[in-house]
Amino acid sequence: MISLAFFICGAVFFAITPKKGLLHYLYLLYAAGAGLAAFSFARALYDLGSPGAAPTLAFALHISPALAVSFRGGPLQDFFGLLLSVAAFAASVYSSGYMKDNAAPRFQGIFYGLFILSMGAVFLSGDALSFLISWEAMSLVSYFLVISDTESEAAQNAGLTYATMTHIGTAFIIGAFMLAFAATGSLDFAGMAAGLAGKSMALKSAIFILSFIGFGMKAGIVPLHIWLPKAHPAAPSNVSALMSGVMIKAGVYGVMLMSLYVLGGPGAHYATWWGIVVLATGAASSVLGVLYALMEKDLKRLLAYSSVENVGIIFLGTGAALVFYSFGQTALAGLALAAALYHAMNHAMFKGLLFLGSGSVMHGVHSKNLEEMGGLLKRMPYTGLFFLMGSVSICALPPFNGFVSEWLTFQSLILGSVTPPAYSKVVTLLGGAALALTGALAAAAFVKAFGVAFLGMPRGPKAREAREAGFPMTASLGFLAAMCLILGVEPGLLLRLISAMPFAGLAQMGSAAPFHSPLTVAGGFSGFWPAAIFASMLTGLLAIIVLAGVFGRRRKITYADSWDCGIKALTPRMQYTATAFTKPLRVIFKTLYMPRKEVRISFKQKPLFVSGITYRSDITPFMENYLYKPLTAFVGKVALKIRHLQSGSLPLYLGYIMLTLIGLLLVWA
Amino acid sequence: MPLIKKWIEIFGVIDFISIGMLLSVVAMSSAKRIESCLKAYVINSWLLALLMAAFAVYLSIPHLYIAAFFTIAGKCILIPYFLRKVIRELKVTREVEPYLSMPVSLIISFALVVLVYSFLAEGIFVAGVARNVLKISVSIILISLFTMMNRKKAVTQVMGLLFMENGLFLAGFSLTYGMPTIIELGVLFDMMMGVMILGVFLTQIKKSFVSVDLDQLTSLKG
Repeated sequence: MISLAFFICGAVFFAITPKKGLLHYLYLLYAAGAGLAAFSFARALYDLGSPGAAPTLAFALHISPALAVSFRGGPLQDFFGLLLSVAAFAASVYSSGYMKDNAAPRFQGIFYGLFILSMGAVFLSGDALSFLISWEAMSLVSYFLVISDTESEAAQNAGLTYATMTHIGTAFIIGAFMLAFAATGSLDFAGMAAGLAGKSMALKSAIFILSFIGFGMKAGIVPLHIWLPKAHPAAPSNVSALMSGVMIKAGVYGVMLMSLYVLGGPGAHYATWWGIVVLATGAASSVLGVLYALMEKDLKRLLAYSSVENVGIIFLGTGAALVFYSFGQTALAGLALAAALYHAMNHAMFKGLLFLGSGSVMHGVHSKNLEEMGGLLKRMPYTGLFFLMGSVSICALPPFNGFVSEWLTFQSLILGSVTPPAYSKVVTLLGGAALALTGALAAAAFVKAFGVAFLGMPRGPKAREAREAGFPMTASLGFLAAMCLILGVEPGLLLRLISAMPFAGLAQMGSAAPFHSPLTVAGGFSGFWPAAIFASMLTGLLAIIVLAGVFGRRRKITYADSWDCGIKALTPRMQYTATAFTKPLRVIFKTLYMPRKEVRISFKQKPLFVSGITYRSDITPFMENYLYKPLTAFVGKVALKIRHLQSGSLPLYLGYIMLTLIGLLLVWA
Repeated sequence: MPLIKKWIEIFGVIDFISIGMLLSVVAMSSAKRIESCLKAYVINSWLLALLMAAFAVYLSIPHLYIAAFFTIAGKCILIPYFLRKVIRELKVTREVEPYLSMPVSLIISFALVVLVYSFLAEGIFVAGVARNVLKISVSIILISLFTMMNRKKAVTQVMGLLFMENGLFLAGFSLTYGMPTIIELGVLFDMMMGVMILGVFLTQIKKSFVSVDLDQLTSLKG
């Protein structure tokens, strides 16, 4: 409640503060609000197990007996609220530095606050009506933020694609809610859950599929993802961090809410194919997402595609959980669900970190293009360090958090493939294979992103003149990097919160990772000791430093240029480019990428004197070309045909009415 | 009174009057001049009022007298008066300018009546004195709709609308034997307002398009 007040004050101050130069300090108000909210959510989750725990928020406004606007905290709600408020805290601190010299500070400030508020409202909505209102508010506000940064046509188009897609998604969600309402007569989620318990499988399946498409659109699953790599990079970086880190989690939250809570009341039966659909979509999203991320030269687009990949990983876990629930294997399901939730939280941390980091880079270089960066580690050491930590987390390497959640996901999929029945074995095994491929490719993608941007020599004058970002920006990056490390070293912290949720099988996760001891799953099926890994890495590093100090002291150190094959002058053009780095993968996945190459040579005098060579290389956007273009062309064609009906002649319109009347007469009389 | 009731039944007065209404609509749909259309409307409205009165006598429903009285006041006197004024002000030519010729319109009207008679009979069955009235009223509605389609001038469209409303009124009370007075009055009042608004519209169309010919409206299309 107090944090709500902070947000409202922030928005109001943004509207009324006269001096534009001071506006960016107001983001600290948002940060304070988000920080307070984070504490109250964490507190509520921690207290869940204990008796007499009060919900974080309970508010209901009854319009009529059947209709109420209600906001309620609950385990799942609080978890996503925590995710939101931690990410929002970091992004707000960051914004106080980042938004210092911005084009429309007042507008963006107000909408930024509203955006966070509306996401909070989505997570805390207790009934379908308030959920839809908050959902639409979130979509619209983020749309305005997407188009607010530049006036370029590309940004406007991105906004348009986003608005269209998100509204199609909302239509599906409304469909799901209306079906549920028609069947149960209740708009309240709890009422829906109670009413749907005894209903037919066909109805439940229809609700599930509608909500999965609708929420999946927001989460950015393949093939509904095309808005995501356009819209997320177009927004200012602090907003992209929230969109990628938190808003797509609203889609994940929606899927979990509908499948686990509304459709999965106590003793509910799941159809196995629901889980398989989610799992297959997750596998496709993770692999395709990372494959397209690999090919991107635009840093923010790369991160956006990587969000598609990570949502895929979350859905791998969720899907596996649904499959296991359908077979009644609650222990396994709990493991998979915990993995999905853990990864959702992790992704908010490291994707927030990476997007904010890319904002700092853009702040320094004034470009999003990787090919114009290079050598930034020397010029922006802190940003570089934290970006590296984010990259290592997202590549799922210990001792960072990505490793824990992907390891958990792996364990659940592997355990699923050794537990009957047969065809769930196959599905989970394939999911595991997809995850393995994804992990390797993600590592390649982020080696490329970090290597090309931060290592080597500057590729352009802008990169040469880059300066480190200001204190609030690096501080918030540092905060998120620390979160990544903590969640990676001490998984028990988050697993304890997750285990408090009332979904079957989750309770065991609380004891899976006691503090400062190994994390084990399935009663010792496998395990590892994150703290020990971290400690040994740290010791190893210290040992190297100490040993180097001891044995290296007597050696003479000479500083010289890198070996340059005798050419005598290394130029930035001799480095690997982002495109060249991924060439082998482009060749391997040729059938998917369908790369296009174009070499154009212009001559002064044919054929010997060449004045210039231009080289263009491109990949074919598969989904756009083979799914969306035919679709839009078809809709356009039909619309043109229908347009002929609209002739503008009044007698013709009257004729339509008359034909309708006569038709009705013939049919019903 | 019982004597009159008996006469109404023996001579099929209600059928006669409603057939008269149908004929007046057909006359309107094939009339050549606007004045004839207006006269047909006046006749139609008088017949409607008469029919209401007949129903009132036959079924002893006193409030139908009131409805009949207001029909006479509104539809037979006020609306025709107002329309005449509008026509005079607009200075439209007397010819109605249909798209289809008179014989063709007659044939189509005939076809519509046949259609209604052959199909409506199977679906809705009305017993009692009003057994034919529903079919006639649906025919009236369809013929006036057709007339609206068939005419170029906006004034005649308004006439078609008025006829259609009479048909609806007929259908309404042949099925219910008189709606509550308040509804009948409301409908009448709506009608008056409608005609006045349409009059204003017509003058506006005339101002912006120089004519009330509806073909010109196609240019509004985007």
